[in-house]
Amino acid sequence: MKNKGYHYAVIVLLMVYLLLPLLATLLFALAKDWQATILPSGWTLEWFAGMLQDARFMESLGRSLLVCTLSVLLSIIIMVPTIYIVTVYMPKLEKLLYALVLLPYALPGVVMAVGLIRIYSGGPVPITGTLWILIGAYFVIILPYMYQGIRNALRTVNARELTNAAELLGATRAQAFKLVVLPNILPGIMVSVLLSFSILFGEFVLANLLVGGRYETVQIYLYKRLSESGHLSSAVAIAYFGFVLVLSGLLLRLGKWVLRTPDIR
Amino acid sequence: MRRSRRFAWPLLAAVLPFLFMAACFEIVPLISMLFSSFRAEAGSSLTLEHYLTSLSNPFYTKAIRNSVLIALYSSVIGLAVGMIAANTITRLPETVRDRILMISNMTSNFAGVPLAFAFIILLGNNGLFTLLFDDIGLPVLGEFELYSWTGLVLVYVYFQIPLAILLMYPTYYGIKEQWREASGLLGAGTVQFWRYIGLPLLLPGMLGTFSILFANAMGAYATAYALVGGNYNLLAIRIGSLTAGDVYVRPELGSALAVLLAAAMLLAMWINERMMLKVRRDLAG
Amino acid sequence: MGSYFTLNAITKSFNGSQVLNNLSLEAEQGELLTLLGPSGCGKSTLLRCIAGLDVMDNGSILLDGVELSTLPAKKRNVGMVFQSYALFPNLTVYDNIAFGLKMRGDRREQIRSRVEEMLELVELSGKRKEYPHRLSGGQQQRVALARSLAVEPKLLLLDEPLSALDAKIRRNLRMELRRIQQRLKMTMIFVTHDQEEALMISDRVFIMNEGQIIQSGRPEEIYTEPSSAFTARFIGHYNVLNRQEMEAVFGLRELAGSAYAIRPEAVKLRPADEETAHGVKAQDDSFRDSSALTAQGHVTEVTVLGSLIRCTVSTGETEIQADMLNDRYRFPIRQGTGVTLAVDPEDCRNLDHGGAIGRCPSYQKNESFTSLSGSRFTAR
Repeated sequence: MKNKGYHYAVIVLLMVYLLLPLLATLLFALAKDWQATILPSGWTLEWFAGMLQDARFMESLGRSLLVCTLSVLLSIIIMVPTIYIVTVYMPKLEKLLYALVLLPYALPGVVMAVGLIRIYSGGPVPITGTLWILIGAYFVIILPYMYQGIRNALRTVNARELTNAAELLGATRAQAFKLVVLPNILPGIMVSVLLSFSILFGEFVLANLLVGGRYETVQIYLYKRLSESGHLSSAVAIAYFGFVLVLSGLLLRLGKWVLRTPDIR
Repeated sequence: MRRSRRFAWPLLAAVLPFLFMAACFEIVPLISMLFSSFRAEAGSSLTLEHYLTSLSNPFYTKAIRNSVLIALYSSVIGLAVGMIAANTITRLPETVRDRILMISNMTSNFAGVPLAFAFIILLGNNGLFTLLFDDIGLPVLGEFELYSWTGLVLVYVYFQIPLAILLMYPTYYGIKEQWREASGLLGAGTVQFWRYIGLPLLLPGMLGTFSILFANAMGAYATAYALVGGNYNLLAIRIGSLTAGDVYVRPELGSALAVLLAAAMLLAMWINERMMLKVRRDLAG
Repeated sequence: MGSYFTLNAITKSFNGSQVLNNLSLEAEQGELLTLLGPSGCGKSTLLRCIAGLDVMDNGSILLDGVELSTLPAKKRNVGMVFQSYALFPNLTVYDNIAFGLKMRGDRREQIRSRVEEMLELVELSGKRKEYPHRLSGGQQQRVALARSLAVEPKLLLLDEPLSALDAKIRRNLRMELRRIQQRLKMTMIFVTHDQEEALMISDRVFIMNEGQIIQSGRPEEIYTEPSSAFTARFIGHYNVLNRQEMEAVFGLRELAGSAYAIRPEAVKLRPADEETAHGVKAQDDSFRDSSALTAQGHVTEVTVLGSLIRCTVSTGETEIQADMLNDRYRFPIRQGTGVTLAVDPEDCRNLDHGGAIGRCPSYQKNESFTSLSGSRFTAR
């Protein structure tokens, strides 16, 4: 390897740049007092303790977990059969599915929010400001990630041929799906779920515009707390990032596993 | 075809919930947004007035210009840094490479409110670096103001870099060491290799990545909102406060701006699709 | 309608193009038929239509007196082995083979004895608890075969089952497949694009092109008696010459057919240079026979194929390929060598009417041709 020094310098600089903001947040979360000095004057865990004792935080955490879980659950129940059926039985609908699924990836949250507010602020279904509109919106924004994971899994296990083989051996469609396809695409579904979950947990735009303070999620709570207590907010931010870290770690493991299994030969 | 019909009905029924959800929360809202962008604020007549306002009123043209400029700067810087980093990453041993890609992947999740806050800790009025440089007496940050245009670019660059690395890395990875060796054997130097072979191969990937970065910055809302609040004049923030604001709500105008933003994003996505198609073709095999 | 299995006028089009064009065939019980054709000729589609995985536009499929075309795939009693094996990755070898029996609702004891029987048949008893990804490709395909055979289908379809395997394993598995088929007297339809494979294992070969069967027959007939330029080229690297070329090369006049096919191993070469030729004359009589068609030319390309040497000979406008045994009697040959070539008129197949060249009806069979034609399966 030529220019070894150069390449390592690049990597070190990059890592410092990428990790510095995280480190600063961590320092702030652990600092006893940090006013007008370069480094904190003392260390403490009280902010983390305070975070756990803060009923408002715990409530917002509960809300975030609830809305994310419900959205992802709904997405699994609806999308796994849909993607499977379209892939195996109705390849003609594939283009339509792809377009519907890709659109939320192309459009920013703020654009999605405008349309949703138009429809659901008044009219026959006034659900703006409730959990329900958020679940609907979240269902849509995780579509690309659910699709990608499930579709890839179906492709790697060659679901179409597995289904054909199962049906020729006398299985009904439901049996072919339940006994043969589903067990083999579970890792792919897990990848989709974890990815979707980590995206939804950090979601701010739609939460802020569609429900705002009326249904305070962790991200909204964090935003409101910023000006009140920086240390507490740092603790929340670090906890949040730790959570994302765990999810990413799991994802990486699973991703490798998904890529490893399909060798047919 | 009578036979296949009969087989298809139960399957179609199983796809219905998806179509229902997509209609309710994706298609109908977007169509409604499109209609409302053409509707007059009083009455129900159709008008182009909101688009005219968007593109001529100095307040909104400023918002558009601010957004475009911030997106442009942060994308160019992000792409440049991302390319240098991606090039380096492909030259590293595999274990190091995997770890760095993992870190890039994770930090790309670090955006929005927590990121804005981290930068306040680093570079805000009482920030770590602000005080540090004051202390040493370095004038570097003398003029710097986090809550300004340059501050925003700096924060945007932070979330653009990991994305740029992740998007550019496959392209670099596709450039095979043998090509470098072959061009070397034919008498080309490093510069010539990049000029005649490397760059032409990278170009579609660069364009594709740039369009994604640009779209990403144009549509970014949370980071700016957390850093400078709902009053800063950016397109995404303007759309948000026109539709869901507390004081000054003009949903029709907001819709028109949103349609413009959506059009720009779809264009960027389309460019990216085309470019990626070319990348895959060039680097196949 | 006495046949065990009958396809009648099968038609299928896809996106406006005709994939299967009014196709019919019949098979007896216990026969192994091969559908042989280039990729895209419709052979796999035909299998999928028989299995019920694709819907055909028109036609009927009769198996043991039952019309299949209105039945769903799982009720047809037809098994299928896929190119990619399609083993269920989450199930062990045992459970893969047992799958069909379970779906049928067999009793446990029944299932066990049947699976054991199948494991023995494909010689994988020791692997019953392994998962598919732990097996080699050849083993996986044997499991797939056992899985299909376990439910005793009335007809087994095999869609290029060997083409994902290495050459050596492919050859072994091919013979094993034939052995199992004969032992169980299973009716099979085997799809392949490999002519060697088709000729080796089948009772009858059906050559397919563009959605139609263009020739069928026992392997030895198919090889020696191609009825069209397509078959001639596809199955044996025949030299296919149209009438004008034929007349120009061999100095003939007023031939009856519009095209002729000549097997490369039927083309005899002798050096134009008499001195070198001396030793050759002694053991090859074809040149002395006055009825042989002869032509002058020079060698443009020499390819060694192991036991055979393939020469491309240019005779003016036309190039002709000739195979010769790579034995110690052969004369030295290289690019540019001038040669005389001779062909027995019997070996010039008229592609319009079948039969050989029409010029010399009375012709005595020559010994040297029979000895050489023994090598035909090694060609390619």
